[in-house]
Amino acid sequence: MQLPPRPDLRHDADSSTSARANVREVLATTVLRAIVIIFLCTLIVPSPPLVSLTAQQHVQTELPHLCVHTRLMEEVDEWKIQRTLELVRELGAPTIVEFFPWAYLQPERDRYDWASADRIVRHAQNQGIRIIARMGLVPQWARPNEETRQTTLNELPRESYDEFADFVARFAERYQGSIDHLVIWNEPNLSFEWGFRPVSAEEYVAMLREVYAAVKAAVPNTMVLGAPLAPTLEPVGSAAGLNDLLYFEDMYEAGLADVSDGIAMHTYGFTSAPEVVPSANRLNYRRAELLRDIMLRYDDPSPVYVTETGWNDSPRWSMAVAPSRRIAYTLAALDYGENQWDWAEVVCIWVMRFPSPTGTYPDHFTLVTPDFVTSPIYHALQAAARGWADEETLWLPPPDSN
Amino acid sequence: MAAAARLKLTILLIGCAVAGLSWVVGQWRALRPALPSEFVRIGVDPSLPPFAFYENETLVGFEIDLAYTLAADIALDIQWVALGFDGLYDALRADRVDLIIAAVSPDPLRRSDALYSRPYYDAGLVLVSANAELVDMSNLAGRKLAYAYGSAAHSEANRWLRRISPFYTHPYEIPSIALDAVRLGAVDAALVSATDMQLYRRNHPAWMPATTSVTHQPFVIAVNPRLGVLAEALDRSLDRLEADGTLAALLRRWLY
Repeated sequence: MQLPPRPDLRHDADSSTSARANVREVLATTVLRAIVIIFLCTLIVPSPPLVSLTAQQHVQTELPHLCVHTRLMEEVDEWKIQRTLELVRELGAPTIVEFFPWAYLQPERDRYDWASADRIVRHAQNQGIRIIARMGLVPQWARPNEETRQTTLNELPRESYDEFADFVARFAERYQGSIDHLVIWNEPNLSFEWGFRPVSAEEYVAMLREVYAAVKAAVPNTMVLGAPLAPTLEPVGSAAGLNDLLYFEDMYEAGLADVSDGIAMHTYGFTSAPEVVPSANRLNYRRAELLRDIMLRYDDPSPVYVTETGWNDSPRWSMAVAPSRRIAYTLAALDYGENQWDWAEVVCIWVMRFPSPTGTYPDHFTLVTPDFVTSPIYHALQAAARGWADEETLWLPPPDSN
Repeated sequence: MAAAARLKLTILLIGCAVAGLSWVVGQWRALRPALPSEFVRIGVDPSLPPFAFYENETLVGFEIDLAYTLAADIALDIQWVALGFDGLYDALRADRVDLIIAAVSPDPLRRSDALYSRPYYDAGLVLVSANAELVDMSNLAGRKLAYAYGSAAHSEANRWLRRISPFYTHPYEIPSIALDAVRLGAVDAALVSATDMQLYRRNHPAWMPATTSVTHQPFVIAVNPRLGVLAEALDRSLDRLEADGTLAALLRRWLY
């Protein structure tokens, strides 16, 4: 093969121009190739984890009342929802309580976005876990005009009760057969939870009445549960809220029994052992029994759902206990609920896991860290629920100094 | 030519010196005007002895002494602001305090809310053993390890159980009993927090076990992010206090 003759660049002006053109062409081609390669490289990104449903799972447990409160609606990654629910199943908890914020699911009056709720329901069903849904959090369009005064996500004005009722009814319809227990609102006896307005049981029951009617018209067999109250000793007239026992009585005076199929309750142990006898001026685990007494006084035998309970082991919170006590108290509380509270359908531990750390004491309520490390209390609960706990004592006696 | 070059060099050196001096003066002058008052407002959590607590209605503790020492070192007066732990960052964000000295560890999620100093204490887990050869968790195989049931040490022990050949676990109710177990020879080692270990040693000064750091939980000063100059001054001051032994002396007074 014969090569073409090389142009003489030193003496031929035309050849020089041609060479410069060649250089430009080569340069342009190289740049173009580089751009294409860089573009192709940008396409080489790790694909998101493949999330697919597994074969249908079932919860194996010896504690059918055991339930955990999850925080899945704030998860971005679907695999984290699936992993959390796998851990719930492996824990031996047949039920979860999950918060489904109205503001997320109906961001505009005429637009619903069910995607985030759908994937939670899909994965919970796949793991064989029942969901109790907590409803609340008001979208901006349903709150008072923010130009006239500041509002919070917990402020539901009377003129929006029907909008909220309509939303809850639509939710009940959409998840009919998957979710059949709805908790309407959260801790309305706290001013914070009531949009920083003076708390009012009458107002709450008026709202519940509209929700109850709408849900029953849409899906008659859905259980509508009265809101759990915050355990508190706040006196009448306090800006922070009202004593839960007083507020609960007011709810019944306002007709709670006629507009609910069951009652959700929050009862925390704080620094007391679970067996400590309740009293009106003390906050402890068995305070739920005082609320139950009020129910019976008003001839309401409907079931109770303890949707939040637990102990905290933060070294930085005055209402916390040592980690060993937290586990012992939680196990004893579940045992007590299982054996003594035949009126309680579930006892739910607050809280399974947060999507990210709070950086303060609430992190010490969790059973699993944000990066999915299961804590000793998770393993202790799992051993109890799965029937693996064969030792009577959790820890060894102090060593003998003799 | 040479004279001209020398002149240029001289002008350049003088310019550099003036710029450097003005920068130093600027840093010095920037510190005090950056503070909203003549005091530096320090947020503390007085519920955590021996770091900060009330004694006869007076704030005392390691962090209180540390704050006094730092303030003296950088010539600032102190105004204390007692806060609950979960209100510390809120106070910083709301500009109610200039800095926090309250056993806080760096939090990556709060980097927009705070500038963190270099650590002044490590509260992480330590392996405590009467056997000077047992100074590493990886040597635990076949040995007996004590810890407080349900604690961070329990989680860490579980993690090591998945990594090395099995060891015997001896859970006790609280850390001091786990340390009793080491001291009395019931176990080979205990895993406890550095603070639990130091406080235990105060009650048993004659006991001299081998201690090795296993995890780290640095305590740092969190500074209002608009006070970068103050944060830098605190870092330099902490360096000085460590170099001249003041920091160690404060730790000895309250912890060791």
